Amino acid sequence: MQRREFFKISFAASAALFGSKSSAFATSKPIDTQKVSPVLFPEKKPLIVHSDRPPLLEAPRTTFTRAITPNDEFFVRWHMPIIPTPINMDTYYIHIHGEVEKRLYLRVADLKKDFKPVEVTAVMQCGGNSRSAFHPSTSGIQWGSGAMACATFKGVRLKDVLAKAGLKNSAEWISLNGDDKAVMAKIESFKRELKIDEISDDTIIAYEMNGREIPFLNGYPVRLVIPGLYADSWVKQLSDIYVTKEYQPYFFMDVAYRIPDNECECEEPNNLAKKTKPLEEMNVKSYIGYPDNQMQIQSGTNLRVKGVAFDEGYGIKNVFISLDMGKTWQQATLGKELSKYAFREFSYNLKPMKKGTLTIMAKAVNNKGEEQPFAHDIPWNHGGYKYNGIDSVTVEVV
Amino acid sequence: MKKIIILMLLCFVSLEAVYTEKVKVPSITFAIEDDPNIRVMQRNCQWCHSYGYILNQGRQSKEFWHKIVLKMRDVYHAPINARDEKIATEYLYKYYGNGREKEGY
Ligand code: HEC
Repeated sequence: MQRREFFKISFAASAALFGSKSSAFATSKPIDTQKVSPVLFPEKKPLIVHSDRPPLLEAPRTTFTRAITPNDEFFVRWHMPIIPTPINMDTYYIHIHGEVEKRLYLRVADLKKDFKPVEVTAVMQCGGNSRSAFHPSTSGIQWGSGAMACATFKGVRLKDVLAKAGLKNSAEWISLNGDDKAVMAKIESFKRELKIDEISDDTIIAYEMNGREIPFLNGYPVRLVIPGLYADSWVKQLSDIYVTKEYQPYFFMDVAYRIPDNECECEEPNNLAKKTKPLEEMNVKSYIGYPDNQMQIQSGTNLRVKGVAFDEGYGIKNVFISLDMGKTWQQATLGKELSKYAFREFSYNLKPMKKGTLTIMAKAVNNKGEEQPFAHDIPWNHGGYKYNGIDSVTVEVV
Repeated sequence: MKKIIILMLLCFVSLEAVYTEKVKVPSITFAIEDDPNIRVMQRNCQWCHSYGYILNQGRQSKEFWHKIVLKMRDVYHAPINARDEKIATEYLYKYYGNGREKEGY
């Protein structure tokens, strides 16, 4: 028997969650008090641990000062408890079948050898990122804001792979499946469905993340990357691409990961929207990586506020900072645009003179003119998806 | 000559073997309250995920917890019998409840 490492996390460790939740039907700031766990996961720095099986790991605020998230701080989210380790790369295949001229079994080496490599730098964000902001609580993991990250992915175009297999005229949809498994055969695995004519050139089957192999916990050896879309479509350990004539209903697309299909994408707890649609494009968001809450700042010294902003691919136009609870806003300095799908760094220099608490807010605006709302203005939806409220940190000037 | 250099480069790249054995994910005990009814939780709620999923929800109403138990049974096919459905809901509300019967808005 394999020796396993056991750790115990007491209820007190997660008690930070409690008490902070108001009962009112209003959105507040997502939880921001959770500490990283001393328990180390493979290839990861200490992260906030919500579960070990399946592993659910969230990055702390301090991760978000840089446009590229290091692989060892990249959040982790699986749905199924059984995650095989692909050891023999000669027997790991992506199977492409269905409405194609010829069925393909592609090894990672084949992807590298037979297709043009492409790179995309893009934000990956869980649809439920910041879910803990919603009240009443919606079921699902109560993430703070660290279920997001940005990396440069390298791989091959999904389109090129489909072209190699040769799509039949009847081909309309593809369904994608990974190798992670449920404990019972009855439970559907985490499949996703994409419409073939909506697959962009930026949609890739990635085998590298920031110049290295994709970490085991992030979907080694290959995962789908769909810039602009929430991560629930970015299938990990991709092993099966099934091309079909018709849409295949799957649980995780037809029951979970759905939002109200109306103008505000919102609903009320006792009056749920009748029509829903799948969760797809992200919205404009920013997050302060430095300073952290409750930090002590020396008065009269320089403070450089740093953070990241992103949207679904229009690109970030501006980030504004407020030091007076949102009454007035000043422009922050933007870093280089790595890609329109990437985190855009921002920074803002100030010299706090007055002692006491100081709240710093950040608000991003994208090239389409969309801007982040205040947290309390974000309407509710039953899945707790798409929170993008204005972030704030409060420090102590001493 | 050019060809040889490219071939050599390819060799270097493909030599990178990554995992030679099964990757071990640490096992964490997310301790839930001890109680005579903990057995119902052990019997029903450990198959597919850790108790971390439960603790992560925070304090919630009885209705919330009941809906969770029903979702596990009806959506994810957890084999929970009618008696355990009731006991699990009571247990969850007792230790992880917020004092409200209904989901308060
Ligand atoms: C047959 C498998 C299975 C069993 C048994 C099971 N669950 Fe789950 N549970 C799931 C799956 C699948 C999810 C969703 C996983 C994900 O999205 O990461 C889930 C999610 C949850 C969540 C997170 C909230 C949500 O709605 O996603 C809670 C809380 C939870 N389960 C509690 C329980 C409790 C309490 C029991 C025992 C009564 C239980 N589970 C038994 C499969 C199961």
